[in-house]
Amino acid sequence: MTALATRTPTRTTAPLGRLAAAEVRWVLRRPRTLVLLALLALVPVALGVGIALTGGPGGDGDGDGPGLVAQVAGNGLVLPIAALGLALTLLLPLTVATASADAIAGEAAHGTLRGLLLAPVGRARLVVMKAAGVVTVAVLAVLVVAVVGVLTGLVVVGGPGGTMITLSGTTLGLGEALGRVALVAGWTVVQLLAVAAVALAVSAFTEHPLVVLAAVLGGLIVFGVLAAIPSLEWLQPLLLTSGWGAGTDALRDPLPLGDLVSSTLRALVYVVLGAAVTVVRMRRRDG
Amino acid sequence: MGRRSWVGAGLGAALVGAVGVGLLVAPAGAAAAPVLPPVSPEDLVSSVIAADAPPLGGEVEVDNALGLPAVPGVPQLANGTSAIRVWSGGDGRGRVALPSADGERTLVSDGTTRWAYDSRDRTATRAPAGEGPDRAADTQDPTTAATQAVATLRQSSTVTVDGTAEVAGRAAYQLVLTPLPTERTLLREVRVAVDAETRLPLQLTVLAQGSGDPALQVGFSEIAYGPQDPALFTFTPPPGTTVEDAPARDEARPEGERQGTTVGDGWDRVVIGQAPAPEEGQARPEGAPDLSTLGTPISGPWGTGRVITTAVATVIVTDDGRIAAGAVPQQVLTEALAR
Repeated sequence: MTALATRTPTRTTAPLGRLAAAEVRWVLRRPRTLVLLALLALVPVALGVGIALTGGPGGDGDGDGPGLVAQVAGNGLVLPIAALGLALTLLLPLTVATASADAIAGEAAHGTLRGLLLAPVGRARLVVMKAAGVVTVAVLAVLVVAVVGVLTGLVVVGGPGGTMITLSGTTLGLGEALGRVALVAGWTVVQLLAVAAVALAVSAFTEHPLVVLAAVLGGLIVFGVLAAIPSLEWLQPLLLTSGWGAGTDALRDPLPLGDLVSSTLRALVYVVLGAAVTVVRMRRRDG
Repeated sequence: MGRRSWVGAGLGAALVGAVGVGLLVAPAGAAAAPVLPPVSPEDLVSSVIAADAPPLGGEVEVDNALGLPAVPGVPQLANGTSAIRVWSGGDGRGRVALPSADGERTLVSDGTTRWAYDSRDRTATRAPAGEGPDRAADTQDPTTAATQAVATLRQSSTVTVDGTAEVAGRAAYQLVLTPLPTERTLLREVRVAVDAETRLPLQLTVLAQGSGDPALQVGFSEIAYGPQDPALFTFTPPPGTTVEDAPARDEARPEGERQGTTVGDGWDRVVIGQAPAPEEGQARPEGAPDLSTLGTPISGPWGTGRVITTAVATVIVTDDGRIAAGAVPQQVLTEALAR
């Protein structure tokens, strides 16, 4: 209390908000970030146009398309959820891994990290600032897919009067359907934050951005392989990717929250571990 | 200072990791057996039969190690664990959701009409209540499954109440049916966990000879008694749905032809039936599995055929079209066929 009261008005450190804003501006001016976001916007558009052109449900056989894609036909509001599910398998992790790789390892490769480390900014604050840039990219990426998905779904695919047909055969109004899309979007952001935290931790250990990308994408593939081996079933609760099917639950009615909650908790454990490793490593890093 | 906080942060992260992993991996944990007033098996069985199914909602977990061949469209029959969501409103109203990775089958009964909705091809099948288009609801619902088992298996078994257990957070009696020593059967024990308060069967466990793990366990993993949202028990086919009427029961299932005869009774009962004759222009009736490729060849004084063995049952399909099945070893089947 007394320390606060007697604090001198002159600042010895830069305010965190200004640091984060500067980092976000810096991240958003990178052409590769913008290109990746534009590519992500193409995912729901391509899905929607493709489905609108090939016809309605049951038109040509059953069970065509991976996962939920077959559900989108004539049911446009499912499109954002299906697109998020598809993008979550590879494209969205790739986007946040790119941002994380640039955040620390990229700066080290250019030699600009040394300047940041010498600046009068605490190392923990430096990590928070770098994380702010990555979180921004993750949120923007999910928002782009979700918003473009909703618009494409409503305009191109169309639906029964702005409603969503759930997997359980019930019909949800526009408001509730948008709520379900928002739920999946928020859940996807948390899953991406887990990927980003691990990617930042890897990024803190290397000065080659490619190593981060390879580690994240390789890790996703290894997780997929491990999940497919029946004798390693006990490993399933530990794998981040084993909860990634839970987004489909948002299309069931009544909404089952069990898997969504457990996969979110699992992602938060990854976030805490990745953030801790990043902070610990950045405290000792010198260039 | 740097080093100390370094160690502190590392320890903190390790702690979070350990707690997180523990929360994610650890099962609910076996609670101590609840203390309940003793009850005789007869009272328990009769109270189970008398009890009405109260309104409830819950999740049923099916742990299947029967070793059945996979049947397309019904993933719940194959080996493995699956979860089913059930709601019951009393008065014959109910809803069952069979989720799969990217779809769902929904069964709704509003008391007068039964609906079966399949999200994959968006078809809804309608049938008058009482004769469902899909028997999955009957076989999977632990309430009906356990009640049927108790009623039919009581004559040839020792029936005991073997302690108590906690199932889905409810205190339950364990009703154990063991075959009499004279019965020649593959089954070792059938356990039914009965809710001490509502007398609703909560869990059915089938144990086979020679295995410690249950061959089949169907039971609530979550249950909440109380009135349910009435909207759950109505079904309106969503726009774009193909609505079909289920074929009448006597059409799909010819009387007499498949009735079959039984040999023996109790646990070693063997049912001998006639395989449906192939119809003109159709290899086999729709929905019937192709038995000709399953099992191993076998022959005996009764003829030749194929034997299919699972953990709890044996089936022999003879080349002249007879089918013998029972929860018995192969020898009992061949004896019944030779009779």
